[in-house]
Amino acid sequence: MNSWQIFWNRVKNPGTINSILTGLQNTAVIAVFGLLLGFVIGCLLATVKIIQSKNPAVKGLQYLADGYIAVFRGTPMMVQLLLLHFAVFIGVKIAPVAEVSLIFGLNSGAYMAEIIRSGINAVDRGQTEAGRALGLGFTAVMLKIVLPQAIKNILPTIGNEFISLLKETSIVSVIGLADLTRSFKAIADSTFEYFIPYVALALIYFVMVMIITVVIRLIERRLNRDKR
Amino acid sequence: MISVKNIFKDFHKTEVLKGVSIDVEKGEKIALIGPSGSGKSTLLRCMNLLEQVKYGEVWLDGRLLTPVDPYLHPDIIAKSKTFAKLCPEPGNAELKAEVISKIKKEDLLKKHEGAEFHSAVRRYLKENRLNANLARRSMGMVFQQFNLFNNMNVLKNMVFAPVKLKIMTKEQAEEKALKLLDRIGLPDKKYAFPSSLSGGQKQRIAIARSLMMNPEVMLFDEPTSALDPEMVGEVLGLIKELADEGMTMVIVTHEMAFARECATRVMFMDGGKILEEGAPDDIFGSPKNERLKEFLSKVL
Ligand SMILES: Nc1ncnc2c1ncn2[C@@H]1O[C@H](COP(=O)(O)OP(=O)(O)OP(=O)(O)O)[C@@H](O)[C@H]1O
Ligand SMILES: [Mg+2]
Repeated sequence: MNSWQIFWNRVKNPGTINSILTGLQNTAVIAVFGLLLGFVIGCLLATVKIIQSKNPAVKGLQYLADGYIAVFRGTPMMVQLLLLHFAVFIGVKIAPVAEVSLIFGLNSGAYMAEIIRSGINAVDRGQTEAGRALGLGFTAVMLKIVLPQAIKNILPTIGNEFISLLKETSIVSVIGLADLTRSFKAIADSTFEYFIPYVALALIYFVMVMIITVVIRLIERRLNRDKR
Repeated sequence: MISVKNIFKDFHKTEVLKGVSIDVEKGEKIALIGPSGSGKSTLLRCMNLLEQVKYGEVWLDGRLLTPVDPYLHPDIIAKSKTFAKLCPEPGNAELKAEVISKIKKEDLLKKHEGAEFHSAVRRYLKENRLNANLARRSMGMVFQQFNLFNNMNVLKNMVFAPVKLKIMTKEQAEEKALKLLDRIGLPDKKYAFPSSLSGGQKQRIAIARSLMMNPEVMLFDEPTSALDPEMVGEVLGLIKELADEGMTMVIVTHEMAFARECATRVMFMDGGKILEEGAPDDIFGSPKNERLKEFLSKVL
Protein backbone atom coordinates (compact mmCIF):
# COMPACT_ATOMS: atom_id res chain seq x y z
CA MET A 1 0.00 0.00 0.00
CA ASN A 2 1.32 3.44 -0.78
CA SER A 3 0.95 6.48 1.45
CA TRP A 4 -2.08 7.71 -0.40
CA GLN A 5 -3.94 4.42 -0.02
CA ILE A 6 -3.10 4.23 3.65
CA PHE A 7 -4.49 7.71 4.15
CA TRP A 8 -7.55 7.08 2.07
CA ASN A 9 -8.43 3.80 3.78
CA ARG A 10 -8.15 5.57 7.06
CA VAL A 11 -10.36 8.44 6.06
CA LYS A 12 -13.02 6.13 4.64
CA ASN A 13 -13.45 4.62 8.08
CA PRO A 14 -16.78 5.97 9.45
CA GLY A 15 -15.17 6.74 12.80
CA THR A 16 -12.58 8.90 11.10
CA ILE A 17 -15.10 10.68 8.93
CA ASN A 18 -17.08 11.44 12.03
CA SER A 19 -14.09 12.82 13.86
CA ILE A 20 -13.15 15.00 10.86
CA LEU A 21 -16.70 16.34 10.62
CA THR A 22 -16.85 17.01 14.34
CA GLY A 23 -13.48 18.70 14.14
CA LEU A 24 -14.60 20.81 11.21
CA GLN A 25 -17.76 21.75 13.05
CA ASN A 26 -15.87 22.70 16.21
CA THR A 27 -13.39 24.77 14.26
CA ALA A 28 -16.17 26.59 12.45
CA VAL A 29 -18.18 27.14 15.62
CA ILE A 30 -15.19 28.57 17.47
CA ALA A 31 -14.24 30.85 14.60
CA VAL A 32 -17.78 32.11 13.94
CA PHE A 33 -18.83 32.59 17.55
CA GLY A 34 -15.42 33.96 18.41
CA LEU A 35 -15.88 36.53 15.66
CA LEU A 36 -19.44 37.44 16.69
CA LEU A 37 -18.54 37.72 20.35
CA GLY A 38 -15.41 39.64 19.41
CA PHE A 39 -17.53 42.02 17.38
CA VAL A 40 -19.91 42.65 20.27
CA ILE A 41 -17.06 43.13 22.75
CA GLY A 42 -15.24 45.27 20.21
CA CYS A 43 -18.29 47.50 19.73
CA LEU A 44 -18.65 47.93 23.49
CA LEU A 45 -14.97 48.72 23.99
CA ALA A 46 -14.91 51.08 21.01
CA THR A 47 -18.00 52.90 22.30
CA VAL A 48 -16.43 53.31 25.72
CA LYS A 49 -13.27 54.62 24.12
CA ILE A 50 -14.85 57.19 21.86
CA ILE A 51 -17.15 58.77 24.45
CA GLN A 52 -15.83 62.21 25.28
CA SER A 53 -16.59 62.88 28.89
CA LYS A 54 -14.81 64.02 32.00
CA ASN A 55 -17.10 61.93 34.17
CA PRO A 56 -14.83 59.87 36.47
CA ALA A 57 -16.91 56.72 35.96
CA VAL A 58 -16.47 57.03 32.19
CA LYS A 59 -12.77 57.77 32.60
CA GLY A 60 -12.45 54.68 34.79
CA LEU A 61 -14.17 52.55 32.17
CA GLN A 62 -11.85 53.97 29.54
CA TYR A 63 -8.79 52.94 31.53
CA LEU A 64 -10.27 49.47 31.96
CA ALA A 65 -10.91 49.23 28.23
CA ASP A 66 -7.36 50.37 27.44
CA GLY A 67 -5.98 47.80 29.89
CA TYR A 68 -8.12 45.04 28.42
CA ILE A 69 -6.99 45.82 24.90
CA ALA A 70 -3.33 46.12 25.89
CA VAL A 71 -3.33 42.78 27.72
CA PHE A 72 -5.13 40.78 25.05
CA ARG A 73 -3.07 42.25 22.25
CA GLY A 74 0.17 42.08 24.17
CA THR A 75 0.23 38.37 24.96
CA PRO A 76 0.15 35.30 22.71
CA MET A 77 -3.22 33.70 22.02
CA MET A 78 -1.80 30.34 23.04
CA VAL A 79 -0.80 31.67 26.45
CA GLN A 80 -4.23 33.24 26.94
CA LEU A 81 -5.86 29.94 26.04
CA LEU A 82 -3.74 27.96 28.47
CA LEU A 83 -4.13 30.47 31.26
CA LEU A 84 -7.86 30.97 30.90
CA HIS A 85 -8.62 27.28 30.38
CA PHE A 86 -6.42 25.77 33.03
CA ALA A 87 -6.43 28.50 35.64
CA VAL A 88 -9.37 30.85 35.26
CA PHE A 89 -12.32 28.90 33.89
CA ILE A 90 -11.39 25.87 35.92
CA GLY A 91 -14.49 24.44 37.58
CA VAL A 92 -16.81 26.50 35.40
CA LYS A 93 -19.44 24.15 34.01
CA ILE A 94 -19.60 24.99 30.35
CA ALA A 95 -19.21 22.96 27.16
CA PRO A 96 -15.55 23.01 26.01
CA VAL A 97 -16.47 24.41 22.58
CA ALA A 98 -18.44 27.22 24.19
CA GLU A 99 -15.59 27.95 26.56
CA VAL A 100 -13.03 28.10 23.79
CA SER A 101 -15.34 30.26 21.65
CA LEU A 102 -15.59 32.60 24.59
CA ILE A 103 -11.81 32.75 24.97
CA PHE A 104 -11.34 33.48 21.27
CA GLY A 105 -14.09 36.07 21.47
CA LEU A 106 -12.37 37.79 24.39
CA ASN A 107 -9.15 37.90 22.42
CA SER A 108 -10.74 38.99 19.18
CA GLY A 109 -12.70 41.70 21.00
CA ALA A 110 -9.46 43.53 21.75
CA TYR A 111 -8.50 43.60 18.07
CA MET A 112 -12.03 44.40 16.96
CA ALA A 113 -12.18 47.34 19.36
CA GLU A 114 -9.27 48.99 17.61
CA ILE A 115 -10.61 48.15 14.16
CA ILE A 116 -14.07 49.53 14.95
CA ARG A 117 -12.72 52.59 16.68
CA SER A 118 -10.57 53.54 13.74
CA GLY A 119 -13.51 52.88 11.43
CA ILE A 120 -15.72 55.20 13.47
CA ASN A 121 -13.03 57.87 13.60
CA ALA A 122 -12.68 57.69 9.84
CA VAL A 123 -16.30 58.82 9.39
CA ASP A 124 -16.00 62.57 9.44
CA ARG A 125 -17.34 64.24 12.57
CA GLY A 126 -19.36 66.69 10.53
CA GLN A 127 -22.00 64.04 9.87
CA THR A 128 -22.35 63.32 13.57
CA GLU A 129 -22.67 67.02 14.23
CA ALA A 130 -25.23 67.45 11.47
CA GLY A 131 -27.25 64.60 12.96
CA ARG A 132 -27.07 66.02 16.46
CA ALA A 133 -27.92 69.47 15.12
CA LEU A 134 -31.17 68.05 13.76
CA GLY A 135 -32.06 66.93 17.27
CA LEU A 136 -31.19 63.25 16.83
CA GLY A 137 -29.79 61.44 19.85
CA PHE A 138 -26.30 59.99 20.11
CA THR A 139 -27.55 56.43 19.67
CA ALA A 140 -29.57 57.12 16.53
CA VAL A 141 -26.67 58.99 14.95
CA MET A 142 -24.28 56.24 15.88
CA LEU A 143 -26.43 53.32 14.74
CA LYS A 144 -27.91 54.76 11.56
CA ILE A 145 -25.28 57.16 10.28
CA VAL A 146 -21.83 56.48 11.67
CA LEU A 147 -21.75 52.71 12.18
CA PRO A 148 -23.09 51.76 8.73
CA GLN A 149 -20.33 53.82 7.12
CA ALA A 150 -17.71 52.63 9.58
CA ILE A 151 -18.61 48.99 9.03
CA LYS A 152 -18.49 49.38 5.30
CA ASN A 153 -15.01 50.85 5.60
CA ILE A 154 -13.70 48.21 7.96
CA LEU A 155 -15.30 45.20 6.32
CA PRO A 156 -12.07 44.07 4.63
CA THR A 157 -10.23 44.38 7.93
CA ILE A 158 -12.91 42.38 9.72
CA GLY A 159 -12.59 39.76 6.99
CA ASN A 160 -8.88 39.54 7.71
CA GLU A 161 -9.59 39.27 11.41
CA PHE A 162 -11.98 36.40 10.71
CA ILE A 163 -9.36 34.65 8.62
CA SER A 164 -6.66 34.92 11.25
CA LEU A 165 -9.14 33.83 13.88
CA LEU A 166 -10.04 30.77 11.86
CA LYS A 167 -6.41 29.81 11.38
CA GLU A 168 -5.57 30.50 14.99
CA THR A 169 -8.24 28.08 16.20
CA SER A 170 -5.83 25.31 15.22
CA ILE A 171 -4.04 25.79 18.53
CA VAL A 172 -6.98 24.56 20.57
CA SER A 173 -5.77 21.00 20.37
CA VAL A 174 -3.27 21.88 23.12
CA ILE A 175 -6.12 21.82 25.60
CA GLY A 176 -7.48 18.65 24.08
CA LEU A 177 -10.37 20.07 22.11
CA ALA A 178 -11.34 18.00 19.08
CA ASP A 179 -10.96 20.53 16.29
CA LEU A 180 -10.11 19.96 12.65
CA THR A 181 -6.35 19.98 13.22
CA ARG A 182 -6.65 17.44 15.98
CA SER A 183 -8.67 15.04 13.83
CA PHE A 184 -5.95 15.03 11.17
CA LYS A 185 -3.19 14.80 13.72
CA ALA A 186 -4.92 11.63 14.97
CA ILE A 187 -4.81 10.19 11.47
CA ALA A 188 -1.15 11.04 11.06
CA ASP A 189 -0.18 9.73 14.47
CA SER A 190 -1.95 6.41 14.03
CA THR A 191 -0.78 5.72 10.47
CA PHE A 192 2.75 7.15 10.81
CA GLU A 193 2.04 8.92 7.55
CA TYR A 194 2.53 12.65 7.97
CA PHE A 195 2.83 14.30 4.59
CA ILE A 196 -0.55 13.56 3.05
CA PRO A 197 -2.74 14.10 6.11
CA TYR A 198 -1.13 17.44 6.87
CA VAL A 199 -1.26 18.58 3.26
CA ALA A 200 -4.93 17.61 3.22
CA LEU A 201 -5.44 19.55 6.44
CA ALA A 202 -3.70 22.61 5.03
CA LEU A 203 -5.85 22.36 1.94
CA ILE A 204 -9.07 22.34 3.95
CA TYR A 205 -8.03 25.48 5.84
CA PHE A 206 -6.97 27.07 2.58
CA VAL A 207 -10.32 26.37 0.95
CA MET A 208 -12.18 27.79 3.96
CA VAL A 209 -10.07 30.94 3.83
CA MET A 210 -10.74 31.28 0.10
CA ILE A 211 -14.48 30.93 0.65
CA ILE A 212 -14.42 33.64 3.32
CA THR A 213 -12.39 35.90 1.04
CA VAL A 214 -14.87 35.51 -1.80
CA VAL A 215 -17.88 36.04 0.44
CA ILE A 216 -16.38 39.22 1.89
CA ARG A 217 -15.65 40.52 -1.57
CA LEU A 218 -19.23 39.85 -2.63
CA ILE A 219 -20.62 41.67 0.40
CA GLU A 220 -18.30 44.58 -0.25
CA ARG A 221 -19.36 44.84 -3.84
CA ARG A 222 -22.98 44.75 -2.81
CA LEU A 223 -22.51 47.54 -0.29
CA ASN A 224 -20.74 49.65 -2.88
CA ARG A 225 -23.46 49.09 -5.43
CA ASP A 226 -26.04 50.55 -3.02
CA LYS A 227 -24.10 53.75 -2.93
CA ARG A 228 -24.35 54.58 -6.59
CA MET B 1 -35.73 84.30 20.47
CA ILE B 2 -32.11 83.25 21.05
CA SER B 3 -30.38 84.94 23.87
CA VAL B 4 -26.66 84.47 24.38
CA LYS B 5 -25.56 85.78 27.76
CA ASN B 6 -21.93 86.56 28.37
CA ILE B 7 -20.48 83.28 27.14
CA PHE B 8 -16.89 82.22 27.54
CA LYS B 9 -15.38 79.24 25.83
CA ASP B 10 -11.90 77.80 25.84
CA PHE B 11 -10.15 74.96 24.08
CA HIS B 12 -7.36 73.51 26.19
CA LYS B 13 -6.84 76.78 28.06
CA THR B 14 -6.86 79.08 25.01
CA GLU B 15 -9.82 81.40 25.33
CA VAL B 16 -11.80 81.56 22.11
CA LEU B 17 -14.90 83.39 23.31
CA LYS B 18 -14.38 86.06 25.93
CA GLY B 19 -17.78 87.24 27.03
CA VAL B 20 -20.12 87.35 24.06
CA SER B 21 -23.76 88.39 24.35
CA ILE B 22 -26.31 88.48 21.57
CA ASP B 23 -30.07 88.78 21.51
CA VAL B 24 -31.59 87.49 18.33
CA GLU B 25 -35.14 88.73 17.88
CA LYS B 26 -37.74 87.00 15.76
CA GLY B 27 -37.33 87.87 12.10
CA GLU B 28 -33.84 89.30 12.49
CA LYS B 29 -31.08 88.34 10.08
CA ILE B 30 -27.78 88.71 11.82
CA ALA B 31 -24.54 88.57 9.88
CA LEU B 32 -21.44 87.67 11.88
CA ILE B 33 -18.26 88.87 10.27
CA GLY B 34 -14.67 88.91 11.39
CA PRO B 35 -11.21 87.60 10.65
CA SER B 36 -10.35 83.93 10.62
CA GLY B 37 -9.98 82.47 14.10
CA SER B 38 -12.01 85.20 15.76
CA GLY B 39 -14.47 82.66 17.18
CA LYS B 40 -17.45 83.04 14.83
CA SER B 41 -17.93 79.33 14.25
CA THR B 42 -17.39 78.59 17.91
CA LEU B 43 -20.09 81.11 18.83
CA LEU B 44 -22.56 79.51 16.43
CA ARG B 45 -21.67 76.06 17.69
CA CYS B 46 -22.17 77.15 21.29
CA MET B 47 -25.63 78.45 20.41
CA ASN B 48 -26.64 75.07 19.21
CA LEU B 49 -24.77 73.21 21.92
CA LEU B 50 -22.27 71.47 19.69
CA GLU B 51 -19.75 73.05 22.06
CA GLN B 52 -20.16 73.42 25.80
CA VAL B 53 -19.65 76.88 27.19
CA LYS B 54 -17.40 77.50 30.17
CA TYR B 55 -19.35 80.46 31.54
CA GLY B 56 -22.52 82.15 30.40
CA GLU B 57 -25.87 80.88 29.26
CA VAL B 58 -27.76 80.32 26.05
CA TRP B 59 -31.53 80.73 26.04
CA LEU B 60 -34.09 79.84 23.41
CA ASP B 61 -37.61 81.25 23.68
CA GLY B 62 -37.23 81.79 27.40
CA ARG B 63 -35.81 78.34 28.11
CA LEU B 64 -32.30 77.64 29.29
CA LEU B 65 -30.18 75.37 27.07
CA THR B 66 -26.85 75.43 28.89
CA PRO B 67 -26.09 74.71 32.54
CA VAL B 68 -26.84 77.53 34.96
CA ASP B 69 -24.09 80.11 35.21
CA PRO B 70 -24.35 81.31 38.80
CA TYR B 71 -22.42 84.47 37.97
CA LEU B 72 -25.47 85.68 36.03
CA HIS B 73 -27.70 85.30 39.07
CA PRO B 74 -26.94 87.56 42.04
CA ASP B 75 -29.56 85.84 44.18
CA ILE B 76 -27.86 82.50 43.63
CA ILE B 77 -24.41 83.95 44.37
CA ALA B 78 -25.86 85.28 47.61
CA LYS B 79 -26.49 81.71 48.73
CA SER B 80 -22.85 80.65 48.35
CA LYS B 81 -20.41 80.00 51.19
CA THR B 82 -17.96 82.40 49.58
CA PHE B 83 -20.58 85.14 49.77
CA ALA B 84 -21.32 84.31 53.41
CA LYS B 85 -17.62 84.57 54.19
CA LEU B 86 -17.13 87.89 52.42
CA CYS B 87 -20.36 89.54 53.45
CA PRO B 88 -20.87 89.58 57.20
CA GLU B 89 -24.11 91.58 57.04
CA PRO B 90 -26.21 90.41 54.08
CA GLY B 91 -28.96 92.85 55.15
CA ASN B 92 -26.80 95.72 53.93
CA ALA B 93 -27.87 96.05 50.31
CA GLU B 94 -24.93 98.21 49.31
CA LEU B 95 -22.35 95.85 50.78
CA LYS B 96 -24.18 92.89 49.28
CA ALA B 97 -24.03 94.36 45.79
CA GLU B 98 -20.38 95.18 46.26
CA VAL B 99 -19.47 91.66 47.37
CA ILE B 100 -21.46 90.10 44.56
CA SER B 101 -19.72 92.19 41.96
CA LYS B 102 -16.35 91.36 43.53
CA ILE B 103 -17.18 87.64 43.38
CA LYS B 104 -18.16 88.01 39.74
CA LYS B 105 -15.17 90.03 38.76
CA GLU B 106 -12.62 87.83 40.48
CA ASP B 107 -14.28 84.50 39.65
CA LEU B 108 -14.37 83.51 43.32
CA LEU B 109 -17.00 80.78 43.28
CA LYS B 110 -15.59 77.34 43.99
CA LYS B 111 -16.73 73.90 43.03
CA HIS B 112 -18.50 73.33 46.32
CA GLU B 113 -20.43 76.23 47.71
CA GLY B 114 -22.74 74.54 50.17
CA ALA B 115 -26.06 72.72 49.92
CA GLU B 116 -28.19 75.85 49.76
CA PHE B 117 -26.28 77.23 46.78
CA HIS B 118 -26.35 73.99 44.84
CA SER B 119 -30.01 73.33 45.46
CA ALA B 120 -30.76 76.86 44.24
CA VAL B 121 -28.81 76.11 41.06
CA ARG B 122 -30.65 72.84 40.59
CA ARG B 123 -34.03 74.43 41.20
CA TYR B 124 -33.32 77.19 38.70
CA LEU B 125 -32.18 74.64 36.14
CA LYS B 126 -35.25 72.51 36.67
CA GLU B 127 -37.58 75.46 36.24
CA ASN B 128 -35.98 76.74 33.05
CA ARG B 129 -34.16 73.95 31.28
CA LEU B 130 -34.96 72.81 27.79
CA ASN B 131 -33.46 69.51 26.67
CA ALA B 132 -30.70 69.99 24.09
CA ASN B 133 -32.20 67.63 21.54
CA LEU B 134 -35.56 69.39 21.70
CA ALA B 135 -33.91 72.78 21.40
CA ARG B 136 -31.94 71.73 18.36
CA ARG B 137 -35.10 70.81 16.51
CA SER B 138 -36.01 74.48 16.38
CA MET B 139 -32.53 75.59 15.35
CA GLY B 140 -31.52 74.57 11.86
CA MET B 141 -27.76 74.44 11.36
CA VAL B 142 -26.00 74.61 8.02
CA PHE B 143 -22.30 73.82 7.88
CA GLN B 144 -19.50 74.92 5.64
CA GLN B 145 -18.84 71.30 4.68
CA PHE B 146 -22.52 70.45 4.00
CA ASN B 147 -22.33 67.31 6.13
CA LEU B 148 -24.94 65.30 4.30
CA PHE B 149 -25.22 61.72 5.49
CA ASN B 150 -23.16 59.82 2.95
CA ASN B 151 -24.87 56.50 3.53
CA MET B 152 -28.30 57.85 2.64
CA ASN B 153 -29.78 59.18 -0.56
CA VAL B 154 -31.12 62.72 -0.74
CA LEU B 155 -34.68 61.83 0.20
CA LYS B 156 -33.52 59.72 3.15
CA ASN B 157 -31.20 62.50 4.27
CA MET B 158 -34.21 64.76 4.48
CA VAL B 159 -36.82 62.48 6.01
CA PHE B 160 -34.58 60.60 8.42
CA ALA B 161 -34.62 62.98 11.38
CA PRO B 162 -38.31 64.02 11.34
CA VAL B 163 -39.43 60.41 10.95
CA LYS B 164 -37.00 59.05 13.52
CA LEU B 165 -38.07 61.73 16.00
CA LYS B 166 -41.73 60.96 15.25
CA ILE B 167 -42.47 64.51 14.23
CA MET B 168 -43.98 63.33 10.96
CA THR B 169 -45.04 60.06 9.45
CA LYS B 170 -42.93 58.73 6.62
CA GLU B 171 -45.56 59.81 4.08
CA GLN B 172 -45.85 63.34 5.45
CA ALA B 173 -42.08 63.68 5.55
CA GLU B 174 -41.66 62.47 1.99
CA GLU B 175 -44.35 64.79 0.74
CA LYS B 176 -42.68 67.73 2.44
CA ALA B 177 -39.24 66.66 1.20
CA LEU B 178 -40.45 66.45 -2.38
CA LYS B 179 -41.98 69.91 -2.13
CA LEU B 180 -38.73 71.29 -0.80
CA LEU B 181 -36.74 69.54 -3.52
CA ASP B 182 -39.04 71.08 -6.09
CA ARG B 183 -38.53 74.45 -4.57
CA ILE B 184 -34.72 74.20 -4.66
CA GLY B 185 -34.92 72.90 -8.20
CA LEU B 186 -33.57 69.42 -7.53
CA PRO B 187 -36.59 67.10 -7.75
CA ASP B 188 -34.72 64.65 -9.98
CA LYS B 189 -31.99 64.18 -7.37
CA LYS B 190 -34.19 62.55 -4.77
CA TYR B 191 -32.56 59.14 -5.11
CA ALA B 192 -29.05 60.45 -5.69
CA PHE B 193 -26.34 59.83 -3.13
CA PRO B 194 -24.36 62.80 -1.83
CA SER B 195 -21.17 61.58 -3.52
CA SER B 196 -22.73 62.25 -6.93
CA LEU B 197 -23.77 65.86 -6.23
CA SER B 198 -22.00 69.15 -6.78
CA GLY B 199 -21.12 71.35 -3.81
CA GLY B 200 -23.88 73.80 -4.57
CA GLN B 201 -26.44 71.00 -4.82
CA LYS B 202 -25.20 69.47 -1.57
CA GLN B 203 -25.50 72.75 0.26
CA ARG B 204 -28.99 73.46 -1.05
CA ILE B 205 -30.03 69.99 0.05
CA ALA B 206 -28.41 70.52 3.44
CA ILE B 207 -30.48 73.68 3.82
CA ALA B 208 -33.61 71.84 2.75
CA ARG B 209 -32.80 69.09 5.24
CA SER B 210 -32.74 71.68 8.02
CA LEU B 211 -36.02 73.13 6.81
CA MET B 212 -37.65 69.72 7.17
CA MET B 213 -37.72 70.31 10.92
CA ASN B 214 -39.60 73.61 10.54
CA PRO B 215 -36.96 75.48 12.52
CA GLU B 216 -37.69 78.83 14.10
CA VAL B 217 -34.20 80.03 13.40
CA MET B 218 -31.43 79.00 11.04
CA LEU B 219 -27.73 79.14 11.85
CA PHE B 220 -25.40 79.25 8.86
CA ASP B 221 -21.65 78.76 9.28
CA GLU B 222 -19.98 80.05 6.13
CA PRO B 223 -22.42 78.20 3.89
CA THR B 224 -20.61 79.20 0.70
CA SER B 225 -16.96 79.09 1.73
CA ALA B 226 -16.38 75.56 0.48
CA LEU B 227 -18.06 76.17 -2.88
CA ASP B 228 -16.62 76.85 -6.29
CA PRO B 229 -17.33 80.48 -7.21
CA GLU B 230 -19.93 79.61 -9.83
CA MET B 231 -22.04 77.82 -7.19
CA VAL B 232 -22.03 80.53 -4.57
CA GLY B 233 -24.89 82.38 -6.21
CA GLU B 234 -27.38 79.53 -6.14
CA VAL B 235 -26.85 78.96 -2.41
CA LEU B 236 -26.93 82.63 -1.46
CA GLY B 237 -30.06 82.98 -3.59
CA LEU B 238 -31.81 80.30 -1.56
CA ILE B 239 -30.73 81.87 1.73
CA LYS B 240 -31.95 85.25 0.52
CA GLU B 241 -35.32 83.72 -0.32
CA LEU B 242 -35.62 82.31 3.18
CA ALA B 243 -34.66 85.67 4.62
CA ASP B 244 -37.30 87.43 2.56
CA GLU B 245 -39.89 84.97 3.82
CA GLY B 246 -39.14 86.14 7.32
CA MET B 247 -36.93 83.33 8.60
CA THR B 248 -34.87 84.36 11.61
CA MET B 249 -31.22 83.69 10.89
CA VAL B 250 -27.68 84.06 12.09
CA ILE B 251 -25.16 83.76 9.34
CA VAL B 252 -21.40 83.67 9.54
CA THR B 253 -20.11 84.83 6.21
CA HIS B 254 -17.21 86.28 4.31
CA GLU B 255 -19.60 87.47 1.58
CA MET B 256 -19.70 91.12 2.56
CA ALA B 257 -22.01 92.17 -0.26
CA PHE B 258 -24.48 89.56 0.83
CA ALA B 259 -24.22 90.61 4.48
CA ARG B 260 -24.85 94.19 3.54
CA GLU B 261 -27.82 93.41 1.37
CA CYS B 262 -29.48 90.72 3.42
CA ALA B 263 -28.72 91.34 7.08
CA THR B 264 -30.78 93.48 9.40
CA ARG B 265 -27.87 93.67 11.83
CA VAL B 266 -24.16 93.04 11.39
CA MET B 267 -21.80 92.02 14.17
CA PHE B 268 -18.06 92.25 13.92
CA MET B 269 -16.10 89.76 15.98
CA ASP B 270 -12.42 89.71 16.71
CA GLY B 271 -10.40 87.99 19.39
CA GLY B 272 -13.43 86.29 20.88
CA LYS B 273 -15.44 89.46 21.40
CA ILE B 274 -18.03 91.42 19.52
CA LEU B 275 -16.25 94.69 18.87
CA GLU B 276 -18.95 96.49 16.94
CA GLU B 277 -22.49 95.89 15.86
CA GLY B 278 -25.13 97.83 14.04
CA ALA B 279 -27.12 98.27 10.88
CA PRO B 280 -25.32 97.08 7.73
CA ASP B 281 -25.03 100.57 6.32
CA ASP B 282 -23.38 101.84 9.51
CA ILE B 283 -20.98 98.93 9.83
CA PHE B 284 -19.90 99.04 6.22
CA GLY B 285 -20.45 102.74 5.61
CA SER B 286 -19.10 104.33 8.75
CA PRO B 287 -17.21 101.79 10.85
CA LYS B 288 -15.88 103.12 14.16
CA ASN B 289 -13.72 100.37 15.58
CA GLU B 290 -10.14 100.43 14.30
CA ARG B 291 -9.94 96.72 13.79
CA LEU B 292 -13.21 96.68 11.92
CA LYS B 293 -11.87 99.40 9.61
CA GLU B 294 -8.72 97.39 9.06
CA PHE B 295 -10.73 94.23 8.44
CA LEU B 296 -13.01 95.94 5.95
CA SER B 297 -10.12 97.50 4.10
CA LYS B 298 -8.74 93.99 3.56
CA VAL B 299 -11.92 92.28 2.47
CA LEU B 300 -13.74 94.94 0.52
N1 LIG C 1 -12.14 71.90 18.47
C1 LIG C 1 -11.18 72.81 18.67
N2 LIG C 1 -10.09 72.51 19.40
C2 LIG C 1 -9.13 73.42 19.62
N3 LIG C 1 -9.16 74.68 19.15
C3 LIG C 1 -10.20 75.05 18.41
C4 LIG C 1 -11.27 74.14 18.14
N4 LIG C 1 -12.19 74.78 17.39
C5 LIG C 1 -11.71 76.03 17.20
N5 LIG C 1 -10.53 76.20 17.82
C6 LIG C 1 -9.74 77.44 17.84
O1 LIG C 1 -10.58 78.48 18.25
C7 LIG C 1 -10.32 79.66 17.54
C8 LIG C 1 -11.58 80.20 16.93
O2 LIG C 1 -12.04 79.29 15.96
P1 LIG C 1 -13.34 79.49 15.11
O3 LIG C 1 -13.43 78.31 14.23
O4 LIG C 1 -14.48 79.78 16.00
O5 LIG C 1 -12.97 80.78 14.25
P2 LIG C 1 -13.75 81.41 13.04
O6 LIG C 1 -13.99 82.83 13.41
O7 LIG C 1 -14.92 80.58 12.70
O8 LIG C 1 -12.67 81.36 11.89
P3 LIG C 1 -12.87 81.05 10.33
O9 LIG C 1 -13.31 82.32 9.70
O10 LIG C 1 -11.51 80.63 9.90
O11 LIG C 1 -13.87 79.96 10.21
C9 LIG C 1 -9.25 79.33 16.53
O12 LIG C 1 -8.02 79.80 17.03
C10 LIG C 1 -9.25 77.84 16.48
O13 LIG C 1 -7.95 77.35 16.25
MG1 LIG D 1 -15.42 79.30 11.10
